[in-house]
Amino acid sequence: MIPDVISVQERLLLRACKTDKFKAGMLSLSLALPIRDDAYLTTLVMAVLLRGSERYPTVAAINRRLDYLYGTEVSLRNHYCGDLHVIGLCADLVGEEYLPLRTDGEVSVMEGAIEVMRELLFHPLLDEEGNLLAHYVESEKRLQCDNIRAQKNHPHAYAAERCKSLMYEGTPGGIPILGTEEDVMAVTPQRLTAHWRAIIRNLSLDCFYVGGCEPLDVACLLKKALSGELGASLVARGSPVAVPLSLRECRSLEETQPITQSHLIMGYDIGAFINQRDFYAATVCNELLGGSPISKLFMNVREKLGLCYSCHSAYNAYRGTVMISCGLSAASRDAAQREIEAQISALAEGSITDAEWIAAKKSLENAYRQLEDSPVSLERLFFGRALAGLSVSPEECRRAIDEVTREEVVACARRMRADTVFFLRATENGEVTEDGED
Amino acid sequence: MERIEHASCRLGEAYTTVVHPSGLSVYVYPKKMTGIYALFATNYGSLDSTFSVDGKDETLPDGIAHFLEHKLFENEDGTDAFSAFSSLGADANAYTSYGRTAYLFSCTEHFGEALEELLRFVTHPCFRKESVKREASIIAEEIRMYRDQPWERVYESMLGALYRRHPVRKSICGSVASVKRITPEELYRAYEVFYRLSNMALIVCGDVSTEEVLTVVDRILTHKTADAPSVTRKIPRDAGAVAKPYTEERMQVSKPIFSIGIKDAVLLSDPRERLSRELSMSLLNEILFSQASDFYNGLFEKGLLTPAFTVGYSAAETFAFDCLSGESEDPEAVLRELKAYLAEVCKRGISREDFERCRRALYADEIRAYDSTEEIANRLLSFVFDGMEMFDSVELLEEITPEEIEQLMRSFFREDRFVLSVIRPKINEET
Repeated sequence: MIPDVISVQERLLLRACKTDKFKAGMLSLSLALPIRDDAYLTTLVMAVLLRGSERYPTVAAINRRLDYLYGTEVSLRNHYCGDLHVIGLCADLVGEEYLPLRTDGEVSVMEGAIEVMRELLFHPLLDEEGNLLAHYVESEKRLQCDNIRAQKNHPHAYAAERCKSLMYEGTPGGIPILGTEEDVMAVTPQRLTAHWRAIIRNLSLDCFYVGGCEPLDVACLLKKALSGELGASLVARGSPVAVPLSLRECRSLEETQPITQSHLIMGYDIGAFINQRDFYAATVCNELLGGSPISKLFMNVREKLGLCYSCHSAYNAYRGTVMISCGLSAASRDAAQREIEAQISALAEGSITDAEWIAAKKSLENAYRQLEDSPVSLERLFFGRALAGLSVSPEECRRAIDEVTREEVVACARRMRADTVFFLRATENGEVTEDGED
Repeated sequence: MERIEHASCRLGEAYTTVVHPSGLSVYVYPKKMTGIYALFATNYGSLDSTFSVDGKDETLPDGIAHFLEHKLFENEDGTDAFSAFSSLGADANAYTSYGRTAYLFSCTEHFGEALEELLRFVTHPCFRKESVKREASIIAEEIRMYRDQPWERVYESMLGALYRRHPVRKSICGSVASVKRITPEELYRAYEVFYRLSNMALIVCGDVSTEEVLTVVDRILTHKTADAPSVTRKIPRDAGAVAKPYTEERMQVSKPIFSIGIKDAVLLSDPRERLSRELSMSLLNEILFSQASDFYNGLFEKGLLTPAFTVGYSAAETFAFDCLSGESEDPEAVLRELKAYLAEVCKRGISREDFERCRRALYADEIRAYDSTEEIANRLLSFVFDGMEMFDSVELLEEITPEEIEQLMRSFFREDRFVLSVIRPKINEET
């Protein structure tokens, strides 16, 4: 499956996969901009846009309209993809043929959803001076500060974020998407409004659709709704592919928290990027190391030594890094780190059994085949690659995985260089239960 | 073998049920997808620690169903069942819930071989003393992981406040202490009692025929299960008074989080009646508490609620409750506002427009559930052991009337049925 690519108008591109496979389709409108120091402003403005528009002035009004459109779910998109900050909206649309409760004269679910998304992105509720409503801005500032503080509520995610922020310090990837409380609280409605206007004036819109509608019909609806909304100037969005990390001594940092389980996060530079030939070799390398329940990390750190419940690795192909995560007791930290390092060395020395090799390749091939069963996964593949200037089908990805050789994987493993080790030490190892204290 | 066809013209969906000579119920749900998803499950979960066999009561340690799920992946030759699936490119996993234990895989090729492996490893238990001891350490880490998750904790404490004795108040994993006590002999006993094929189901969803599935089942499950002993679950039905109206803990959270539990005074044995009540409660929750509701928006505007607000109704034969969870600087005020809001809505009634709008949203959720082989298989599993028909949901939803929903609202939210569970920041976090 590969999408039709339709240039709807200047700065409005639609990628569409027509398929009758799903009862509900998905339509996303995305914008990508380079990550800047004021990324927190972009995060904040997206939250404020979802508070109300000219036609749907409250959260209740927005949601009532979406309920009426058969529970169309419009979700916010706000994340980093390499060095790009991707924002937008994504709608989940039930196919018309399954909707018996419709009444005459209703617009289609697709048309209705596009109208709501246009309202939210381009027609927010403004005050008499043309600024975003101060009440909404203040309320969302408080919520964003809550979210900054709430990062500690999830120890594993917190530890992973801390490791990333240390690893990517001084690069776009190290800029916190939520910002600091001080930054956020200093934002004024005027500044935020100017930020919103700059975004919609300068950017191009990437639309992605998977579902039963004809791509040209979707393009027509988008053109009808959005022509006239996009501004005249265009800023190049740049590439998501990050600059390689600079060579440095591995840093080791530790924090303590009053939690029960400790978390060991080890960040490695693998130096292979999505737009490079060895991307697929690095993908196989990560799968062998910690990408599955029979990976070296799972089988040794968890199954053989019983040191943890989870131990896995994740490859970020836009940053050329691998992050290894392990939830464990503080007493097991040294043993786990030694074993993780030993498994990377084993991989670098070419210690790969036939069973491991076959399993890693088949697992990845299976994952690429199953992309076609999920609209969201298809979008992630096609849009993610398109941001890096690539066009590739799941079938081509599978072939590329198949062609990876052991030598290429070993070369990737040899390039792995420990950059940052972060340890979140738990200070409460007890468990109070009906059975008493352990 | 008699085949029963189940079909929904409305949804354009169908599946087949066969009771295999081995005693196993087999459900094949053809779906034109790239991946095939298979579940082999037993009607046994964390609530079943106490039971009686041929009239004799037995109790096994808490968390044993989940422990057994972990250990079943170990083969007799010391290898791991995951390896076999991986060599076929299949992705295997398992989970334990209150009432079920399920082993599963998804694949895009070598389906027959993967299914063979699933049926083989689940029917060949091997519990060694050393590996059981090692697994206890791994599960202890899993328990610790959950204990650091505030939303898990606040929910579990809410159940503890709703139920004095019902085992739903206990963690599915058990406690570190109960898990450490589990022996290979106890695992074999649990297996012997609950892993009889007549107590199990095989569900396959994907581009596969009933014949393909049955060919593999015939090959692997060649023996009919011996006459099963009479097993009775000893789970108490609990629709009585709540255990305690309030519970509080402190842990590392940035602001207080809460779960409000509302215990259902009605427990239904008839599966179709229970399904109908579940759908009605889902619709009522949507009308009263969704992000389109006056309740959510009123409290959001007052700064008493954030978007991290969820609502859900859970029901089984022996317990049922509604749960509202969120974060708030003042959970007690949320509870007060909730009770005042309910009193007001009970007085003024529900508008026809709100009813129809929310029914549309729920109807669409029902439709969406049929887009994923994983979701279909797991959804089917939640129906089959209870003797419910999955396709009834859409029709039942259409049959619900506004009058029924109003009547349900007025009878459900009784003053003495509420509990509030709160997790507050640790003292040093507040200062």
